Parts: sequence; structure tokens; C-alpha cells
Amino acid sequence: MITVNGITLDWYEGKTIHDVLQEMNYLFPLLIARINGKLIPRNKYDSTVIPDGATVDIIHLMSGG
Amino acid sequence: MADRGMITIEIDGKSVSVEKDTTILEAARSIDIFIPALCYSELVEPYAACRLCIVEVNDGRKTKLVTSCNYPVRRPITVYTSSESVMRNRKIILEMMLSRWPNVQVIKDLAKNAGIEQPRYQHPSVDLNPNACILCGLCMRVCEQGIWDNIINFMNRGAERAVRMPYDSEQPHCVGCGACAEICPTGAITMVEDPNQPFDAEMIRKAGMRITEEMIKFDKEQCDMRGVGTAHLVEIMDAYDLLPVMNYRFGKHEDTPKISSDVFRKHFTKGKPDGCWLGCIMACAKAIENFELKTGPYKGEKVLVDGPEYETVGGSSNMGIFDPYFVAEYNFYCDTYGLDTISFSTMTAFIMECYEAGVLDIEKTEGLELHFGAKDAALELLHQIGRGEGFGLIAGKGIRYMKKYFVENFGADPNFVYDIGMEAKGMEYSEYVTKESLAQQGGYGIALKGAQHDEAWLIFMDMVNKQIPTFEDKAEALHYFPLWRTWFSLCGLCKLPWNDVEPADNAETDEPAKVPGHVQGYCEFFEGVTGKPQTMDSLIRMSEKVYNFQRVFNLKMGFGRREHDAIPYRSAGPVTVTEYESRQERYDTQLREEVGIDPSGMSSEEKVARMRKFRETQYEHLLNAVYKRRGWTNDGVPTVAKLTELGIDFPDVIELVKKHGG
Repeated sequence: MITVNGITLDWYEGKTIHDVLQEMNYLFPLLIARINGKLIPRNKYDSTVIPDGATVDIIHLMSGG
Repeated sequence: MADRGMITIEIDGKSVSVEKDTTILEAARSIDIFIPALCYSELVEPYAACRLCIVEVNDGRKTKLVTSCNYPVRRPITVYTSSESVMRNRKIILEMMLSRWPNVQVIKDLAKNAGIEQPRYQHPSVDLNPNACILCGLCMRVCEQGIWDNIINFMNRGAERAVRMPYDSEQPHCVGCGACAEICPTGAITMVEDPNQPFDAEMIRKAGMRITEEMIKFDKEQCDMRGVGTAHLVEIMDAYDLLPVMNYRFGKHEDTPKISSDVFRKHFTKGKPDGCWLGCIMACAKAIENFELKTGPYKGEKVLVDGPEYETVGGSSNMGIFDPYFVAEYNFYCDTYGLDTISFSTMTAFIMECYEAGVLDIEKTEGLELHFGAKDAALELLHQIGRGEGFGLIAGKGIRYMKKYFVENFGADPNFVYDIGMEAKGMEYSEYVTKESLAQQGGYGIALKGAQHDEAWLIFMDMVNKQIPTFEDKAEALHYFPLWRTWFSLCGLCKLPWNDVEPADNAETDEPAKVPGHVQGYCEFFEGVTGKPQTMDSLIRMSEKVYNFQRVFNLKMGFGRREHDAIPYRSAGPVTVTEYESRQERYDTQLREEVGIDPSGMSSEEKVARMRKFRETQYEHLLNAVYKRRGWTNDGVPTVAKLTELGIDFPDVIELVKKHGG
């Protein structure tokens, strides 16, 4: 299991940030991703594997007026 | 999953994996291999004019010389950036350049590195100016591709070729953004005029160029403000259950794709008319040209529709209408009649719910069947408001008036209409569902002007990121962001360049939600204009004085106390059983985990009531925390101590707040 923004999600071998964004339907483009506090660059979302038990933060910034 | 679609190539013996169509120059720079280039910039499309970036490529079959700035990687290749052939040809190019522009420093440096001290011949058009134009074309390309303008371009041919404005004259259309001067590698372009005589024009330009570069490089992949403006939020809000549907009862709808940004992208007139402010690089104001109206006094005429923006589209879903042509038509007529699309759509959504609940009927609306989704009736209501006729006379006075009117004249249940009439301080809500964000409920309720999100938009921080879990956290956000956003208004600046494009290093900052790099830029704008150095804290302090003074003004006008920060319950939670049951799993879980009661066996009516009691109490706790953080009394009145600290303790102000316990 992993937690994403405080929500518990199933874990599987090879699960990436990209997979989490799809599972959570996080479509917003201005995102910051951290795995156990470590910043993950945007161009590594689909190649960074999340370890079991990890705490993932997907920080949404703001947009609009 | 790793390295999908990557191609591995070898450059000077080093391997690098890059995405298909990455250029050789980009691939080389990504592993710190320097290839000289004078006409290349990541801000514009490659041009291959200077030819200095030539490299030797072996694709397994043959070896050839190519320009690396525009050669896309599509298969494994071997690249040599300084082979004998490359160096010989590059040296010839540099020698020709040096013969024509012998005093341009960047050329002198590259020539020296290639072993050339003096050219062997003199160019017939030699230019001895150390800031000579070397015809790289970066300036005209950044103007066209980056700024979306065409102020400068090449004229003439051969030795007479030169960069000029059309007809070799000054162009009044040039907004003086300075991008051409900034990108020029030789200093051939300089800004000669600063009409407003700022303290430090260079400081302003440098700060502005950082935004310009970010927009050119990142906007397409970030918010696409230049493509579709704020309408990009429509499908995003739907995905997060935040798009108002049918008077804020729900946050998403299966028909949202019919009014998504991609639909409007097809209708927007590209490039023009564009930008609400001449020269704005964000240029998010979009327009639809030649739109044929189907109703109203201009029926059959082709007009320009200024929009739509997100709020106008969200207002349409709020009325249960998912038709882009309706959106354009009501957008146009609201503008034409001088009405706000937010106020019109939110009050019409309220009317529609009243109609469906039986508070209104066809007699009371004088013939308008105002069900959710009734686009023809909604447009007729809009025209009635414009003409000051029929039911439009009542509706046009807004939700606060209608609630009272419906109770007094139509026998409406006051509890119901006051729960679902989405206004605060007499202003209609803008288009976001706030039920799952207590901080945003405060953002609307406490806002000085009424229920507008432009003081604070905290839904993602609160509901999605869970960054501000405690009342104190939320109060801090409701202290900082309203003051920060007020600062833009004080200076007459748009806030969208602050938070609709993100600097490359924003994620690495301590407080990315504040976008510190952009706050620094605004400090420089202010200092560049006035000569007074600023910090984030000093900008906030400017706002705090004005913000507190505005609260005092509200107090003077009868709107500045706790009772005036109350919100309709629809803003905080599900009013009806239908709403509750549409998100039953979410609400049942919250009753169990946050309220601490077991919902099993309870009727939906009981669950709605228990949830309401909890959420209304939470809102009162939030007000307590916010007032405390702001230095106000528990009744929401600025204290004498706070006003004294801010230096706005004028006698009549002190007398007023003392009268209200401040």
C-alpha cells in the first residue's frame, strides 16, 4: 500500500508517479510530485517507480483568476 | 515502463538517451557537450542560418555533415562534434564571419577558439561596428514565434540584407517588450525610449523577460493560457468534482466534454484579437469572430464574442446547459447589456432550482419555463433583464433580492431559498464547488467584496493536497493569499502571470504555492518603477493597511461584521437528500471518520442534518481562527491595536471600530 495526499492506494511492482496521476484522475498540469519527501522531476513521472509503503505527495499549485 | 520511446545515441564517445525528434544540439547540451551556435535559442524554432553548429553524423551506412540545431534524432546514430572535417568547415565559416564583422566580440571569441586571429581576406561589406547585426534572425523569430507579433523582419537580399521594421520606419504597434534586444547575441538592438521614465527600466525589463521566457517555453505544456485562456480549467474542474452543475448541487457532468476547452479552441480566432492588455505575453483573453446570433436585438448579425473564459463556461454548466453556442450567445449579450456572466449564470441557476422545486412556476415567471438546461428560456430571461421587463425585472436585482421576494410574495420556504441562493454580501458566487474545502468556504464568505474567489483560491491546497489541515493553517492561508492578491489590485497589475505559469525551479523552493520566483519579480517591478526596494513581507504590509481599511469601510457601510461573513449552506455541504445520495460514499465516510458517528441505519434526512451541524460548526471555528490571525475581534472588527500598528488609526476610524467593539 502507498498513501497519496493522505489517501491509501494499492501498490504493485513498477507503479510510477504517472500511474498514480492516472489512477487519481489528477489532470491539473501544475503539479509537484514527491516520494517520501524527495522531489521527482516532471520528466521522470513515468520512469520513477514508487516503493511499497511510500508516502507520495502530489502538490497542486493554483491557476486562474 | 522506464525510458518509453527513448533513443540512445553516441556523441563524442558518450552515450545519451533522448526522446525521438530531440535535436542533436539539445542532446549534446544535455550532457554538457558544447557545440557553437549563433542563431540558436531554445525560445524559437531552429533556423540553421549560421551553420556553426555543424557536426558529423554516422547512421551506420554513411557519414555526413549536418546542422545539429535542426537535425532530429530518429534512430541510433554516432555523432562527432569536433572531427577534422567539422573543424575545417567550421573554421571556414568563422573566418568568413570574422571578415565581415571583425569587431563583434562573440565572433572574435569563437574565431580565436578555432585558431583564427585575422581573416585572410576582407569582406566587401565589412562592418566595423562592435555591435553589428550578424543576421542570425533570432530577433525576428522571437517577435513572431514568442511574442506573436511581426514588428521586425529581414529586408533586401545579399549584402544589403538587414533587419528592419516595415518600410524602415518606427512601428507604433511595437509594445516595447524588449524580447528582440534581450535575445540579440551582439547588442545590435537597444531600447531607446522609456516613455514613463521608470526608476530602473532595465530592472523591469529583466523581470519581464523572465516571465516571457517561461511563457514561451512552458505555457503549452502547463496551462495553455495562450491557446485557450482560462477555459482550460473546465475539464480540470470537472475531473476534481469542482465544476458547478445545476446550482452547485454537483461538481461534474457527463456532458462536460461538450463545453471543454478543446471545443472552444476550435472557435477561438487564433492570434487576434488577443490579449486584454497590449503586449501581454500571456494573452489569455480569447475571442470568437463572426459568431451569428440566434436571439435578441442583434439576431442574425455576425458579431465578435469576447470570450468565453472559464467562469462563463462554468456558469453554463451551473445552469445545466452544455451547449457551446449558448455559451457564446449569453457571453455576448451579458457583455452587451453590461451584465456580469457570473452573476447572471449563478442567479439563473438559483431560479432554475426554485422552478424545479416548485417555488416558481410558469405564472410566476410570466411564461418562462426555467428548468435546468432550458437554454432558450435562459436567453429570454437575459433579454428581459436587458430590457427591464417581465420576470427579468425581479431576476435582474440579484439573488439577495429574489430570496426575500420569493418568501414574501410567493410563499417560498425561507430555509430552502436561503440555503440554495448562492450569494454572500449580496454578490453572487463565482463558479467553483466549495463543499469539500472549508478554507475556500472562508475564501468566499470572508472576502470583502462578496463571494468572489479572487481574494483566495485554496481548494487544491486544502481539499486535494491536504496542506492546510488545521484551522490555524487555513487561517494563515486566508491571511497571506487575500493580502497578496490585494496587492495586485493596489498596483493595477494582473495576477495571472503570477500563478498561471510556473518557473522551472518552482518545485525546489520552500513555498511553491506562493511561487517565490514570481513574487521576487513583482518586487523588482515595483522597485524598477519607484526606486524603493521591496521584499515579499513589505508588499504584504502594503496590502494589509489597505485591506484593513477596506474592512473598516465595509463596517461603515453595514457589511463588516461576523454576521456578514455568513455563507449559504449549499456552499458548505449538501442541502438536499439528492445531493447527499449523489456522493453518499464520501459523506458516509466523513460522518464516520470526521464527525465520529455511525451512519448505518440512519435515513438520508438524518445524515444531511448531522453533516450540516458538523460543517456549520467547522465554519464558525474557521471564522474564529481567521479573525484572530488578522488581529480582529471575534465579531470580525479590526481592533484599535491592529489599526494603530498599521498606521491607519485616524480619529473617525478609531471612533467607528470602538463603536463596534474593536
